Amino acid sequence: MSEKKIRIGFYALTSCYGCQLQFAMMDEILQLIPNAEIVCWYMLERDSKEVEPVDIAFIEGSVSTEEEVELVKEVREKSKIVVAVGACATQGGVQSWTDKPLDELWKTVYGDGKVKFQPRMAKPVEEYIKVDYRLYGCPPEKRDFLYAIGTFLVGSWPEDIDYPVCLECRLRGNTCVLIERGEPCLGPITRAGCDARCPAFNVACIGCRGAIGYDVAWFDSLAKTFKEKGYTKEEIIERMKIFNAHNPKLEEMVNKIFQEVKE
Amino acid sequence: MRYVKLPKENTYTFLERLKEWGRLYAPVKISEKFYDFREIDDVRKVEFHYNRTIMPPKKFFFQPREKLFEFSIKDAEYRETLEDVEPFVVFGVHACDIFGLKIMDTIYLDELPDKYYKVRREKGVIIGISCMPDEYCFCNLRETDFADDGFDLFLHELPDGWLVRVGSPTGHRIVDKNIKLFEEVTTEDICNFRDFENKRAQAFKYHEDWGNLRYLLELEMEHPMWDEQSDICLACGICNTTCPTCRCYEVQDIVNLDGNTGYRERRWDSCQFRSHGLVAGNHNFRPTKKDRFRNRYLCKNSYNEKLGLSYCVGCGRCTYFCPAGISFVRNLRTIMGLEEKSCPPELSEEIPKRGFAYATGIRGEDI
Ligand code: SF4
Ligand code: SF4
Repeated sequence: MSEKKIRIGFYALTSCYGCQLQFAMMDEILQLIPNAEIVCWYMLERDSKEVEPVDIAFIEGSVSTEEEVELVKEVREKSKIVVAVGACATQGGVQSWTDKPLDELWKTVYGDGKVKFQPRMAKPVEEYIKVDYRLYGCPPEKRDFLYAIGTFLVGSWPEDIDYPVCLECRLRGNTCVLIERGEPCLGPITRAGCDARCPAFNVACIGCRGAIGYDVAWFDSLAKTFKEKGYTKEEIIERMKIFNAHNPKLEEMVNKIFQEVKE
Repeated sequence: MRYVKLPKENTYTFLERLKEWGRLYAPVKISEKFYDFREIDDVRKVEFHYNRTIMPPKKFFFQPREKLFEFSIKDAEYRETLEDVEPFVVFGVHACDIFGLKIMDTIYLDELPDKYYKVRREKGVIIGISCMPDEYCFCNLRETDFADDGFDLFLHELPDGWLVRVGSPTGHRIVDKNIKLFEEVTTEDICNFRDFENKRAQAFKYHEDWGNLRYLLELEMEHPMWDEQSDICLACGICNTTCPTCRCYEVQDIVNLDGNTGYRERRWDSCQFRSHGLVAGNHNFRPTKKDRFRNRYLCKNSYNEKLGLSYCVGCGRCTYFCPAGISFVRNLRTIMGLEEKSCPPELSEEIPKRGFAYATGIRGEDI
């Protein structure tokens, strides 16, 4: 590792700030301080400066205003590595779930009130800039954060997660709420890394870490499994979309299963 | 081999005594339908008639997740973190699972022993138990339905107790130390034992010869079954992670935020995952879901040379626990021509061009 400190920025878009909070509360952060210069991270550093050149930029939140579009572009230009953090930044968050038009959404929240920004439909950061690495989840996992930074610090590249939550249920010795109780568990299509937290409490996975990438999230096979358990197409799409509203394959793959029957 | 009888009324006392040999693990109900080996406090919770555990007994020796060593990059040093393993007893292991452990031993103990596996294997006492097959069991076809060794004690159910086979010096010691709990085996017990074994042999769903399975699988690499079944597969990997003989693992180095120290961890892996076949340069030698799906079938039905058995021991877990409802047995029987759709005419004509070397997606394009 070089003696130079790595420069870190943590930027927030429209979000609940839960991601930053999750990491800011980690005791391990103290270990990082000698190796890093916190250029911008308001939750840790009062004298934060937005937007300065950094080695690693973390971005939480979904891009939801014109101003944020400009901000992410600037962050991209000034950062060597951009890491999207949390369900909002990586998948657009639950705020992307809706199909309603922007005007209507706006009215529901703000009525006739005036605000200082130009709204947009919520989207993941990747829709606007190139993202180099992602930390998934709502909120993201401390373990993933440690792993990513630790790996960057030694000049290597962290691996992405391309396997489902099911693995972690099996490692942990959970039962299976999908097989046993027919619950619409999204574990099979959702990225692991949460240590199958919800299923461990007998709660079906809702998919907060997003569908696995690399075209290995089998929405079609899971839709078929759900269909056999009596779920309708609408119920299936609705559930799968909660955290995957911007996934380009989702609806098409689910539709395929329901078309097959009509033939 | 030494045989003794454990009368029914002594069963719980015997279980209680087993705790003197180490921490006691046995099958218990973990949910409405499923069982798993768990640590036993109250011996009355032990299930003697469970069908199969969701985690195979390999978990005690090849742990689902374990830290291998800690390292320091600056000092160029590493330190193995193998903890002191206390003796433990695994009670209630079915014959197929005992064979599963024997298969694991051929991988993790022979030639280059895996020390993490070895130390636990040396500390673990294995107590087998007889079982009645359900519709998912096919250990009879795998010749793993009766264990001759690989256990310390094996309990066979009798109407009024257990006929116990003693399979190791430790087994002898357990019996000797508790000799008052045991009786001699009578002619009637032997009759009852035979009776149970006969009933059990008849209870299996299939009675057929699978001798040609290995060859047919290789010849039928392009059988439509692969497309149809891999298409509905979720690639969740549960078939691997519940299998008593799946032994692949993935390792990861986790560096601490000091940018110097860290640790290496391994965890069970699945060949149904994309990254399992991913190698340097972003190449993947099993690029499609179908390739990965087929891989498990080929792996499980290949022969373990040391034991002369297939890697699959017929426990039925991969079918029983598959969320997509895919039946491993049915698919194998399809390939063998024991189910319908075994030999479609349009395929049989082209057989010489098929087989491993000609399978698409394995050797790249245009081949
Ligand atoms: S358990 Fe079933 S759905 Fe999951 S990977 Fe195995 S065959 Fe596919
Ligand atoms: S392949 Fe399936 S039936 Fe065979 S040992 Fe593994 S889990 Fe059991």
